[in-house]
Amino acid sequence: MKYKLLTCAAALAISAGAARADSHVSLLFAPGEDSTFNWQSYEDFAAAHDLSGQTMTMTGPWTGADKELVESVTAYFTAATGATVNYSGSESFEQDIVIAAQAGSAPNIAVFPQPGLAADLASRGFLTPLADGTGDWVRDNYAAGQSWVDLGTYPDANGDDQLFGFFYKVDVKSLVWYVPEAFEEAGYDIPETMEELKELTDQIVADGGTPWCIGLGSGAATGWPATDWVEDMMLRTQDPATYDAWVANEIPFDDPAVVGAIEEYGYFARNDDYVNGGSAAVANTDFRDSPGGLFTFPPECYMHRQASFIPTFFPEGTEVGLDVDFFYFPAYESKDLGKPVLGAGTLFAVTNDSPVAHTFIEFLKTPIAHEVWMAQSGFLTPFSGVNPEAYASDTARALGDVLLGATTFRFDASDLMPAEIGADAFWKGMVAYTGGEDAASVAKTIQDRWDSIQ
Amino acid sequence: MSPLLQGVLTIVIGVGGCVGYFYFANLILDKVIFPTKGPNPGRNINRANQVRPWLFLFPAIFALGLYLVYPVIGSFYRSLFNRAGDEFIGGGNYAALLADDGFRTSLFNNFLWVIFVPAGATFFGLLAAQLTDRLKWGNIAKSLIFMPMAISFVGASLIWKFVYANDADIGMINAVREMLGAENPVDVLQIPFWNNFFLMVILIWIQTGFAMVILSAALRGVPEDTIEAAIIDGANPFQIFFKIKVPQIMATIVVVWTTITILVLKVFDIVYATTGGNFGTEILPSYMMSYMFRDDGRATAVAFVIMLIVTPVMIWNIMQARKEMR
Repeated sequence: MKYKLLTCAAALAISAGAARADSHVSLLFAPGEDSTFNWQSYEDFAAAHDLSGQTMTMTGPWTGADKELVESVTAYFTAATGATVNYSGSESFEQDIVIAAQAGSAPNIAVFPQPGLAADLASRGFLTPLADGTGDWVRDNYAAGQSWVDLGTYPDANGDDQLFGFFYKVDVKSLVWYVPEAFEEAGYDIPETMEELKELTDQIVADGGTPWCIGLGSGAATGWPATDWVEDMMLRTQDPATYDAWVANEIPFDDPAVVGAIEEYGYFARNDDYVNGGSAAVANTDFRDSPGGLFTFPPECYMHRQASFIPTFFPEGTEVGLDVDFFYFPAYESKDLGKPVLGAGTLFAVTNDSPVAHTFIEFLKTPIAHEVWMAQSGFLTPFSGVNPEAYASDTARALGDVLLGATTFRFDASDLMPAEIGADAFWKGMVAYTGGEDAASVAKTIQDRWDSIQ
Repeated sequence: MSPLLQGVLTIVIGVGGCVGYFYFANLILDKVIFPTKGPNPGRNINRANQVRPWLFLFPAIFALGLYLVYPVIGSFYRSLFNRAGDEFIGGGNYAALLADDGFRTSLFNNFLWVIFVPAGATFFGLLAAQLTDRLKWGNIAKSLIFMPMAISFVGASLIWKFVYANDADIGMINAVREMLGAENPVDVLQIPFWNNFFLMVILIWIQTGFAMVILSAALRGVPEDTIEAAIIDGANPFQIFFKIKVPQIMATIVVVWTTITILVLKVFDIVYATTGGNFGTEILPSYMMSYMFRDDGRATAVAFVIMLIVTPVMIWNIMQARKEMR
């Protein structure tokens, strides 16, 4: 059925004359059909660029369902310009891109989930700066534009700051997912403060349930979900300046502020009564499988703290907003730190210079490139030029509101730290801590590693 | 071009190229450089025969030099430099390794692997070879035992991850425990120290087939008359096995043992795919991986340490293999 729809859409697209005759890609939404999309931007882009017969390679961390989503977007680029986009996703992208760059076989465009890694490659001369004016465009068109420019700007091989990364697809991380029906049945209310969340956690245990599902497993990247917990806790126990100092290692990793945040995470994850399967199950449960406990009957757990992309991994047919919903991971009422939001995003960088690659970055500046993914799942954008109506659901729009309602927005710390810390030592340290090691000694190990690279 | 056609073409060019090289190089040597006709045919034939072995060895020596010798020297050189590769720091990387807890853990774990995996694989391989030797359905049993050899390390790790799963509905170990009345499932991959052995089991499972095949061939080669003589002298089956057969295939056992030892020092996939080096299961190759492409100085230093450990085993292995050939 889906295939049939796709074919129909493709046929429509071709008959509408919007797609070039030589393209064989199927477009998910027929150009010109649905007025929530900004088709004008698509037509204009198609008219301005003709790259027939050219090819562009792109690698990124998106595999499986995410791969199909990104390919549904690149299909529009192909239809508009005639250039083929070969996307390949890798579970171990962080290693692969470095190998490819050093071997001189880098793809044209790499999609970095971690600015820290991109900064590392930029400083070694493997990235090509984006076209002039891209920085101004981001500043003018992205909400909180300057912060996105700053996050994509790194020193090049000569130490000069240049804009290398274009942010596309943002995730909000400070979210707790729950099943409204289960909450209703048990008579639980959405907690508004961290104090209430802790009360609710105890309440669920007292009622004989298990409050949380937590899973850190992610192949070679095992441990990263715990780093998100710690970062969220950091924002809820310390002021943003301390957070920034932590990211820059101006305060050591084993500072009491950081150790305190790790222990706040441990308050939930290291309590056998609080987590599904007991705390021993946390470290090895795959993060993609762990939300599954929400949907069993009776529920194996009631809450799951995870970023906005997680619905991609919910059981097939789950309707976000109806079967499952989220609330903002609340802050302490007593600490007066406002409503901090932790987020992340992927940035596109040119790793192998070619005109097609730069045209593709241009394509990402069109509203249509954002709206196509918005209309599906797991996509948020700070781009103010898009039509919010294009979001597939009210939930997605509500996610955008969390982003807007934040008094403090901070980028995922582990993604900003050097790769050895943010993409190795921090992960491993969190796994060790979850397994029962002492927070202070884990933090000390991470700081030692950080010292050894400076 | 379709991938199938590409594959066929690669094979044709590769194999054809090899055949072509040997044929034409030989032809040029015999007809052009040292012709058997014209003056001094005898001297030319002798000279051609002296050059020929080198001609035939050249591709192998060239490829080994380019892909083995050069990288070894290059790695060692790189390990003397700092993280960025622009500052000479001598033995700094090696000193940093020795001071690092993680390195010591991996070194210790690696020794465990080197001791137990070859021992386990050879023992079970020998056992399987002996037990299946005279059986009618021995060949079927052998094929079954040999089959894991065909599975990649990562594939095998994923299979065993299910066996070890922390869930009585999925994991075999926990299912058995539940059957015996245990209440909560355990994650065996998180049991300190012993989790190393659970990972080793995976490699033993894979390598037993290899040991079995080689040892089974060796057992077949034991002269019948020595066994007959032992039977006539009243030896029991255990004595025949341990005092007659095993001593005669000792050289093969050593070769199998050392071959697996070398393999063990290279395997990193199993740790990487199961625990990712967490829970104290880091071994040297996976420890190297956490530095690779980030701090290449440190990573090459680890690589060199691994090579230093492998080399004596390898030399012994070659010596034993040669002894056996004689």
